[in-house]
Amino acid sequence: MKRWDALGLIADAYPRDPMVVTLGGTTRELAAMRRSPSHLYVLDSMGLPPAIGLGLALGLDDSSFDKVVVVEGDGSLLMGLSTLATIALTTPRKLVVLVLDNGAYSATGNQPTAAAAVDLCAIAMACGMQTGEVRDLEELRAALEWTRTTDGPLFVRAHTDVEAAKVPYLLEDPVVLSSTFAAYVARNR
Amino acid sequence: MFDRDAPHTPRGTKLSTPAERSAAVNAAIEQIDPEWIIQIPSSTLKTIIDAQSARMGPRAFPATREEEAVGIGSGLALAGRRVMLIVQDNGIGNALTALTTFPQAYHIPLLMLVSRRGGLGEYNSMIHTFCEHVEEVSRAAQLRSFSLDGTVPLDEWTRRIVDAHEFARITHRPVLVYLNLMRE
Repeated sequence: MKRWDALGLIADAYPRDPMVVTLGGTTRELAAMRRSPSHLYVLDSMGLPPAIGLGLALGLDDSSFDKVVVVEGDGSLLMGLSTLATIALTTPRKLVVLVLDNGAYSATGNQPTAAAAVDLCAIAMACGMQTGEVRDLEELRAALEWTRTTDGPLFVRAHTDVEAAKVPYLLEDPVVLSSTFAAYVARNR
Repeated sequence: MFDRDAPHTPRGTKLSTPAERSAAVNAAIEQIDPEWIIQIPSSTLKTIIDAQSARMGPRAFPATREEEAVGIGSGLALAGRRVMLIVQDNGIGNALTALTTFPQAYHIPLLMLVSRRGGLGEYNSMIHTFCEHVEEVSRAAQLRSFSLDGTVPLDEWTRRIVDAHEFARITHRPVLVYLNLMRE
Protein backbone atom coordinates (compact mmCIF):
# COMPACT_ATOMS: atom_id res chain seq x y z
CA MET A 1 0.00 0.00 0.00
CA LYS A 2 1.45 3.36 -1.02
CA ARG A 3 1.36 6.11 1.58
CA TRP A 4 -0.03 8.48 -1.05
CA ASP A 5 -3.02 6.18 -1.65
CA ALA A 6 -3.57 5.65 2.08
CA LEU A 7 -3.59 9.41 2.65
CA GLY A 8 -6.17 9.80 -0.10
CA LEU A 9 -8.53 7.38 1.66
CA ILE A 10 -7.96 9.10 5.01
CA ALA A 11 -8.71 12.52 3.51
CA ASP A 12 -11.87 11.12 1.92
CA ALA A 13 -13.00 9.57 5.21
CA TYR A 14 -12.40 12.72 7.24
CA PRO A 15 -13.13 15.79 5.09
CA ARG A 16 -14.35 17.92 8.02
CA ASP A 17 -12.87 16.75 11.33
CA PRO A 18 -9.61 18.26 12.62
CA MET A 19 -6.57 16.29 11.54
CA VAL A 20 -3.03 16.53 12.98
CA VAL A 21 -0.52 15.42 10.34
CA THR A 22 2.95 14.24 11.23
CA LEU A 23 6.17 15.68 9.86
CA GLY A 24 8.16 14.78 6.78
CA GLY A 25 6.75 13.18 3.67
CA THR A 26 3.34 12.54 5.25
CA THR A 27 2.54 16.20 5.80
CA ARG A 28 4.03 17.18 2.42
CA GLU A 29 2.08 14.55 0.52
CA LEU A 30 -1.24 15.36 2.18
CA ALA A 31 -0.74 19.11 1.69
CA ALA A 32 0.10 18.54 -1.98
CA MET A 33 -2.78 16.16 -2.55
CA ARG A 34 -5.64 17.61 -0.51
CA ARG A 35 -4.78 20.88 1.20
CA SER A 36 -7.42 21.72 3.83
CA PRO A 37 -7.84 24.22 6.67
CA SER A 38 -8.94 21.27 8.82
CA HIS A 39 -5.38 19.91 8.66
CA LEU A 40 -2.72 20.95 11.14
CA TYR A 41 0.53 20.35 9.30
CA VAL A 42 3.28 19.64 11.84
CA LEU A 43 6.53 20.53 10.10
CA ASP A 44 8.90 19.32 12.82
CA SER A 45 8.15 18.38 16.46
CA MET A 46 8.78 14.68 15.95
CA GLY A 47 6.95 12.62 18.57
CA LEU A 48 4.41 15.32 19.36
CA PRO A 49 1.41 14.69 17.04
CA PRO A 50 -0.42 12.22 19.36
CA ALA A 51 -0.02 14.69 22.25
CA ILE A 52 -1.30 17.58 20.14
CA GLY A 53 -4.21 15.42 19.00
CA LEU A 54 -4.94 14.40 22.57
CA GLY A 55 -5.18 18.06 23.62
CA LEU A 56 -7.46 18.82 20.68
CA ALA A 57 -9.66 15.80 21.38
CA LEU A 58 -10.08 16.79 25.02
CA GLY A 59 -10.70 20.42 24.14
CA LEU A 60 -13.20 19.58 21.41
CA ASP A 61 -15.06 16.85 23.26
CA ASP A 62 -18.24 18.98 23.37
CA SER A 63 -17.86 20.28 19.80
CA SER A 64 -19.75 19.30 16.66
CA PHE A 65 -16.70 17.46 15.33
CA ASP A 66 -17.12 13.69 15.37
CA LYS A 67 -13.45 12.89 15.73
CA VAL A 68 -9.96 14.38 16.03
CA VAL A 69 -7.64 12.41 13.77
CA VAL A 70 -3.88 12.05 14.17
CA VAL A 71 -1.97 10.80 11.12
CA GLU A 72 1.29 9.59 12.61
CA GLY A 73 4.35 7.68 11.39
CA ASP A 74 5.98 4.75 13.13
CA GLY A 75 9.23 6.61 13.90
CA SER A 76 7.45 9.60 15.39
CA LEU A 77 5.05 7.38 17.35
CA LEU A 78 8.00 5.55 18.90
CA MET A 79 9.57 8.86 19.90
CA GLY A 80 6.45 9.95 21.76
CA LEU A 81 5.23 6.51 22.75
CA SER A 82 4.58 7.40 26.39
CA THR A 83 1.72 9.66 25.27
CA LEU A 84 -0.30 6.47 24.87
CA ALA A 85 -0.23 6.13 28.68
CA THR A 86 -1.75 9.60 29.02
CA ILE A 87 -4.38 8.63 26.46
CA ALA A 88 -5.17 5.67 28.72
CA LEU A 89 -5.52 8.04 31.66
CA THR A 90 -7.71 10.61 29.93
CA THR A 91 -9.77 8.32 27.60
CA PRO A 92 -10.50 10.89 24.84
CA ARG A 93 -13.57 9.46 23.12
CA LYS A 94 -13.03 11.43 19.90
CA LEU A 95 -9.37 10.59 19.35
CA VAL A 96 -8.33 8.44 16.39
CA VAL A 97 -4.60 7.69 15.91
CA LEU A 98 -3.78 6.37 12.42
CA VAL A 99 -0.19 5.15 12.15
CA LEU A 100 1.21 4.88 8.63
CA ASP A 101 3.93 2.36 9.34
CA ASN A 102 6.55 2.04 6.62
CA GLY A 103 9.14 0.72 9.08
CA ALA A 104 11.56 3.49 8.19
CA TYR A 105 12.70 7.02 8.87
CA SER A 106 11.94 7.85 5.27
CA ALA A 107 12.71 11.57 5.38
CA THR A 108 16.29 10.83 6.38
CA GLY A 109 17.04 8.03 3.92
CA ASN A 110 14.85 5.08 4.93
CA GLN A 111 16.89 3.94 7.89
CA PRO A 112 14.86 1.24 9.69
CA THR A 113 12.84 2.09 12.79
CA ALA A 114 12.27 -0.40 15.60
CA ALA A 115 8.62 -0.76 14.60
CA ALA A 116 9.07 -4.12 12.88
CA ALA A 117 10.10 -5.60 16.20
CA VAL A 118 7.18 -4.15 18.15
CA ASP A 119 3.51 -5.07 18.40
CA LEU A 120 2.24 -1.48 18.32
CA CYS A 121 -1.41 -2.55 18.52
CA ALA A 122 -0.73 -4.56 21.68
CA ILE A 123 0.85 -1.48 23.25
CA ALA A 124 -2.10 0.69 22.24
CA MET A 125 -4.55 -1.92 23.49
CA ALA A 126 -2.74 -2.06 26.82
CA CYS A 127 -3.25 1.71 26.92
CA GLY A 128 -7.01 1.40 26.68
CA MET A 129 -7.37 1.93 22.93
CA GLN A 130 -9.37 -0.23 20.57
CA THR A 131 -7.12 -1.20 17.71
CA GLY A 132 -6.97 -2.45 14.14
CA GLU A 133 -4.10 -3.46 11.83
CA VAL A 134 -4.35 -3.24 8.04
CA ARG A 135 -2.11 -4.09 5.09
CA ASP A 136 -3.96 -2.96 1.97
CA LEU A 137 -6.34 -0.27 0.79
CA GLU A 138 -9.49 -2.36 1.17
CA GLU A 139 -8.65 -3.15 4.78
CA LEU A 140 -7.83 0.49 5.40
CA ARG A 141 -11.14 1.59 3.91
CA ALA A 142 -12.97 -0.77 6.28
CA ALA A 143 -10.88 0.36 9.24
CA LEU A 144 -11.63 4.01 8.51
CA GLU A 145 -15.35 3.26 8.42
CA TRP A 146 -14.93 1.50 11.77
CA THR A 147 -13.18 4.56 13.24
CA ARG A 148 -15.97 6.83 12.00
CA THR A 149 -18.63 4.80 13.78
CA THR A 150 -16.88 3.74 16.97
CA ASP A 151 -16.13 5.74 20.12
CA GLY A 152 -12.45 6.26 20.84
CA PRO A 153 -9.74 6.29 21.73
CA LEU A 154 -8.94 4.27 18.61
CA PHE A 155 -5.66 3.17 17.04
CA VAL A 156 -5.03 1.81 13.55
CA ARG A 157 -1.67 0.52 12.32
CA ALA A 158 -1.57 0.67 8.53
CA HIS A 159 1.46 -0.93 6.91
CA THR A 160 2.67 1.04 3.90
CA ASP A 161 5.54 0.90 1.40
CA VAL A 162 8.61 3.04 1.91
CA GLU A 163 8.00 4.63 -1.48
CA ALA A 164 7.36 8.36 -1.21
CA ALA A 165 5.69 10.62 -3.74
CA LYS A 166 7.75 13.38 -5.31
CA VAL A 167 6.19 16.50 -3.83
CA PRO A 168 7.64 19.88 -2.92
CA TYR A 169 8.66 20.92 0.59
CA LEU A 170 5.98 22.70 2.60
CA LEU A 171 7.76 25.96 3.33
CA GLU A 172 4.95 28.14 4.64
CA ASP A 173 5.22 30.11 7.85
CA PRO A 174 3.98 27.88 10.71
CA VAL A 175 2.04 30.86 12.03
CA VAL A 176 -0.11 30.77 8.88
CA LEU A 177 -0.60 27.02 9.26
CA SER A 178 -1.71 27.28 12.90
CA SER A 179 -3.89 30.37 12.50
CA THR A 180 -5.66 28.83 9.49
CA PHE A 181 -6.31 25.66 11.47
CA ALA A 182 -7.38 27.43 14.69
CA ALA A 183 -9.76 29.69 12.77
CA TYR A 184 -11.28 26.65 11.05
CA VAL A 185 -11.77 24.90 14.40
CA ALA A 186 -13.32 28.00 16.00
CA ARG A 187 -15.65 28.55 13.04
CA ASN A 188 -16.87 24.96 12.80
CA ARG A 189 -16.74 23.61 16.34
CA MET B 1 23.14 39.77 64.51
CA PHE B 2 22.14 37.64 61.56
CA ASP B 3 19.33 35.24 62.36
CA ARG B 4 19.49 32.33 59.89
CA ASP B 5 15.90 31.31 60.71
CA ALA B 6 14.53 34.70 59.75
CA PRO B 7 15.94 35.39 56.28
CA HIS B 8 15.85 38.96 55.08
CA THR B 9 16.16 40.66 51.74
CA PRO B 10 19.04 43.10 51.28
CA ARG B 11 16.67 45.93 52.13
CA GLY B 12 15.62 44.31 55.40
CA THR B 13 12.20 43.07 54.35
CA LYS B 14 11.43 39.61 55.69
CA LEU B 15 11.33 36.89 53.04
CA SER B 16 8.09 35.06 52.45
CA THR B 17 7.90 31.38 53.28
CA PRO B 18 7.47 28.61 50.68
CA ALA B 19 3.96 27.99 52.05
CA GLU B 20 3.01 31.64 51.58
CA ARG B 21 4.41 31.64 48.04
CA SER B 22 2.53 28.45 47.17
CA ALA B 23 -0.68 30.05 48.45
CA ALA B 24 -0.02 33.09 46.23
CA VAL B 25 0.47 30.78 43.23
CA ASN B 26 -2.79 29.00 43.99
CA ALA B 27 -4.56 32.38 44.23
CA ALA B 28 -3.18 33.33 40.80
CA ILE B 29 -4.28 30.03 39.25
CA GLU B 30 -7.78 30.53 40.63
CA GLN B 31 -7.90 34.04 39.14
CA ILE B 32 -6.77 32.74 35.75
CA ASP B 33 -9.27 29.90 36.11
CA PRO B 34 -7.74 27.46 33.60
CA GLU B 35 -10.04 24.85 32.13
CA TRP B 36 -7.19 22.35 32.04
CA ILE B 37 -3.89 21.93 33.90
CA ILE B 38 -1.23 19.53 32.65
CA GLN B 39 1.39 18.85 35.29
CA ILE B 40 4.47 16.88 36.19
CA PRO B 41 5.03 16.90 39.92
CA SER B 42 7.92 18.22 41.95
CA SER B 43 8.36 18.01 45.71
CA THR B 44 8.16 21.80 45.92
CA LEU B 45 4.93 21.84 43.86
CA LYS B 46 3.02 19.39 46.04
CA THR B 47 0.84 22.01 47.74
CA ILE B 48 -0.09 23.59 44.42
CA ILE B 49 -0.73 20.39 42.48
CA ASP B 50 -2.73 18.88 45.34
CA ALA B 51 -4.89 22.01 45.62
CA GLN B 52 -5.54 22.27 41.88
CA SER B 53 -6.21 18.54 41.52
CA ALA B 54 -8.77 18.77 44.32
CA ARG B 55 -10.34 21.84 42.69
CA MET B 56 -10.36 20.63 39.09
CA GLY B 57 -10.61 16.85 39.33
CA PRO B 58 -9.65 15.05 36.10
CA ARG B 59 -9.10 18.35 34.28
CA ALA B 60 -5.78 18.59 36.14
CA PHE B 61 -3.82 15.54 35.08
CA PRO B 62 -0.21 14.42 34.75
CA ALA B 63 1.75 14.05 31.52
CA THR B 64 4.53 11.47 31.26
CA ARG B 65 7.15 13.93 29.96
CA GLU B 66 7.46 17.69 29.65
CA GLU B 67 7.45 17.72 25.84
CA GLU B 68 4.25 15.70 25.91
CA ALA B 69 2.74 18.30 28.24
CA VAL B 70 3.71 20.97 25.71
CA GLY B 71 1.97 19.03 22.94
CA ILE B 72 -1.22 18.41 24.93
CA GLY B 73 -1.33 21.99 26.16
CA SER B 74 -0.82 23.33 22.64
CA GLY B 75 -3.65 21.14 21.34
CA LEU B 76 -5.96 22.42 24.05
CA ALA B 77 -4.99 26.01 23.24
CA LEU B 78 -5.68 25.42 19.54
CA ALA B 79 -9.10 24.15 20.58
CA GLY B 80 -9.68 27.53 22.24
CA ARG B 81 -9.26 26.32 25.83
CA ARG B 82 -7.54 28.07 28.74
CA VAL B 83 -4.70 25.78 29.68
CA MET B 84 -1.70 25.94 31.98
CA LEU B 85 1.33 23.70 32.45
CA ILE B 86 3.03 23.14 35.81
CA VAL B 87 6.43 21.45 35.77
CA GLN B 88 9.81 21.67 37.46
CA ASP B 89 12.81 23.31 35.87
CA ASN B 90 14.97 20.24 35.31
CA GLY B 91 12.31 19.13 32.82
CA ILE B 92 12.79 22.23 30.69
CA GLY B 93 15.67 20.37 29.04
CA ASN B 94 13.19 17.75 27.87
CA ALA B 95 10.79 20.40 26.59
CA LEU B 96 13.10 22.76 24.68
CA THR B 97 12.71 21.26 21.21
CA ALA B 98 8.96 20.85 21.58
CA LEU B 99 8.58 24.43 22.85
CA THR B 100 10.66 26.01 20.12
CA THR B 101 9.38 23.94 17.18
CA PHE B 102 5.72 23.97 18.09
CA PRO B 103 4.08 26.66 20.29
CA GLN B 104 6.90 29.16 19.73
CA ALA B 105 7.04 28.59 15.95
CA TYR B 106 3.26 28.26 15.53
CA HIS B 107 2.46 31.23 17.85
CA ILE B 108 0.40 29.31 20.38
CA PRO B 109 -0.10 30.98 23.78
CA LEU B 110 0.92 28.69 26.63
CA LEU B 111 1.66 29.59 30.23
CA MET B 112 4.12 27.34 32.04
CA LEU B 113 4.66 27.62 35.78
CA VAL B 114 8.11 26.21 36.41
CA SER B 115 9.38 25.45 39.91
CA ARG B 116 13.05 26.15 40.55
CA ARG B 117 15.37 23.50 41.94
CA GLY B 118 19.02 23.61 42.80
CA GLY B 119 20.80 26.18 44.92
CA LEU B 120 20.57 26.61 48.68
CA GLY B 121 18.21 24.15 50.33
CA GLU B 122 18.44 21.60 47.50
CA TYR B 123 18.95 18.02 48.67
CA ASN B 124 19.54 16.37 45.29
CA SER B 125 23.17 16.78 44.26
CA MET B 126 22.48 15.74 40.65
CA ILE B 127 20.12 18.57 39.92
CA HIS B 128 22.35 21.63 40.26
CA THR B 129 24.21 21.47 36.95
CA PHE B 130 21.14 22.02 34.81
CA CYS B 131 18.84 23.90 37.18
CA GLU B 132 21.31 26.62 38.16
CA HIS B 133 21.48 27.65 34.50
CA VAL B 134 17.95 26.93 33.34
CA GLU B 135 17.00 30.59 32.96
CA GLU B 136 20.03 31.22 30.73
CA VAL B 137 19.16 28.12 28.73
CA SER B 138 15.59 29.22 28.12
CA ARG B 139 16.75 32.74 27.25
CA ALA B 140 19.20 31.30 24.72
CA ALA B 141 16.25 29.45 23.18
CA GLN B 142 14.44 32.80 22.97
CA LEU B 143 11.70 31.64 25.32
CA ARG B 144 10.17 34.55 27.26
CA SER B 145 10.29 34.06 30.99
CA PHE B 146 9.71 35.86 34.29
CA SER B 147 11.12 34.94 37.69
CA LEU B 148 9.64 35.09 41.17
CA ASP B 149 11.47 34.37 44.41
CA GLY B 150 11.22 35.11 48.09
CA THR B 151 12.38 38.69 47.67
CA VAL B 152 9.30 39.53 45.61
CA PRO B 153 6.34 40.67 47.76
CA LEU B 154 3.61 38.07 47.99
CA ASP B 155 0.88 40.18 46.43
CA GLU B 156 3.21 40.70 43.47
CA TRP B 157 3.49 36.92 43.01
CA THR B 158 -0.22 36.59 42.33
CA ARG B 159 -0.42 39.68 40.13
CA ARG B 160 2.64 38.79 38.05
CA ILE B 161 1.44 35.25 37.34
CA VAL B 162 -1.94 36.56 36.23
CA ASP B 163 -0.17 39.16 34.09
CA ALA B 164 2.11 36.48 32.59
CA HIS B 165 -0.94 34.50 31.51
CA GLU B 166 -2.30 37.56 29.73
CA PHE B 167 1.15 38.26 28.30
CA ALA B 168 1.28 34.78 26.74
CA ARG B 169 -2.17 35.32 25.26
CA ILE B 170 -1.48 38.71 23.69
CA THR B 171 2.01 37.85 22.47
CA HIS B 172 0.90 34.47 21.07
CA ARG B 173 3.73 32.40 22.48
CA PRO B 174 4.77 30.19 25.36
CA VAL B 175 5.73 32.11 28.50
CA LEU B 176 7.56 30.56 31.44
CA VAL B 177 7.25 31.82 35.01
CA TYR B 178 10.06 30.49 37.19
CA LEU B 179 8.88 30.06 40.78
CA ASN B 180 11.36 29.65 43.60
CA LEU B 181 9.36 27.71 46.17
CA MET B 182 12.41 26.50 48.04
CA ARG B 183 13.63 27.78 51.39
CA GLU B 184 15.09 30.99 50.02
